[in-house]
Amino acid sequence: MKSINYKSIYYPPGGILLWILIFLELITFGVALIILVAGTDGNINAYYESASHLNATYGAINTIFLLTSGFFMATSVKLFKKGNIKKADLYLKLTMMFGALFLLLKSLEYSEKIEKGFVLGYDTFFNFYWLLTGFHVIHILVGLVILLLLHFSMKKPNALVEDFEASAAFWHMCDLIWLLLFPILYLVF
Amino acid sequence: MERKELYTYLTLLLLTVFTAYFANNYHGIKIFSILILILSGIKFLLVAFNFMELKKAHPFWKVLLVSYLTIFISIVSILL
Repeated sequence: MKSINYKSIYYPPGGILLWILIFLELITFGVALIILVAGTDGNINAYYESASHLNATYGAINTIFLLTSGFFMATSVKLFKKGNIKKADLYLKLTMMFGALFLLLKSLEYSEKIEKGFVLGYDTFFNFYWLLTGFHVIHILVGLVILLLLHFSMKKPNALVEDFEASAAFWHMCDLIWLLLFPILYLVF
Repeated sequence: MERKELYTYLTLLLLTVFTAYFANNYHGIKIFSILILILSGIKFLLVAFNFMELKKAHPFWKVLLVSYLTIFISIVSILL
């Protein structure tokens, strides 16, 4: 496999276009979170009250699911680069499994919130909660589709390291976004 | 099993436990809220640098990401 010069400004691991996308996503979610926190101005007790209805244990378990998934993804990339395709595929499947577990727990959390009436439009905090976590879930779904396509294409002789790295970078981006969302939505209020 | 990735993963789990501990025991205290943000920021950088292999990239990308995180945590900490 040919080596990539990562030290070049044009070739960060995962590719320059993906890193531009990652920064755009981080800025979008970051600005939304800042607007959420800025909205507490003089009304922080309302946020404390709303946030108390969120289950931080679910959030923490989901963090562990995503971090575990990210660990398997990083290991899979390493193994793919070493040419150990069979093992890389196994770790890729584990990555997808933990991503699916994240979605499963998120679905449970969503159904509990809907049952209790904490739906979109309930208050400002829950509007942000649904929009931010909802967009994040869409990213996870897209990421899982990308990983599934990768699983089918990685065994082909023309499979590229660049494709594998770009898919992995997209998946890790979901981790990064969650690491911003989790403390602010579930822990600090 | 890749050793570097494993150590990073274990550190991430440890930081998650610390974060949960501070959130449960010191809930609503501003300094601890900021500490939770900083711990989450460290996790963010560990994922970016070790899992995404950003540490191999050109310094431009590293500086950009660290700057983004610093600005984000600073603004949120001030607003809290």
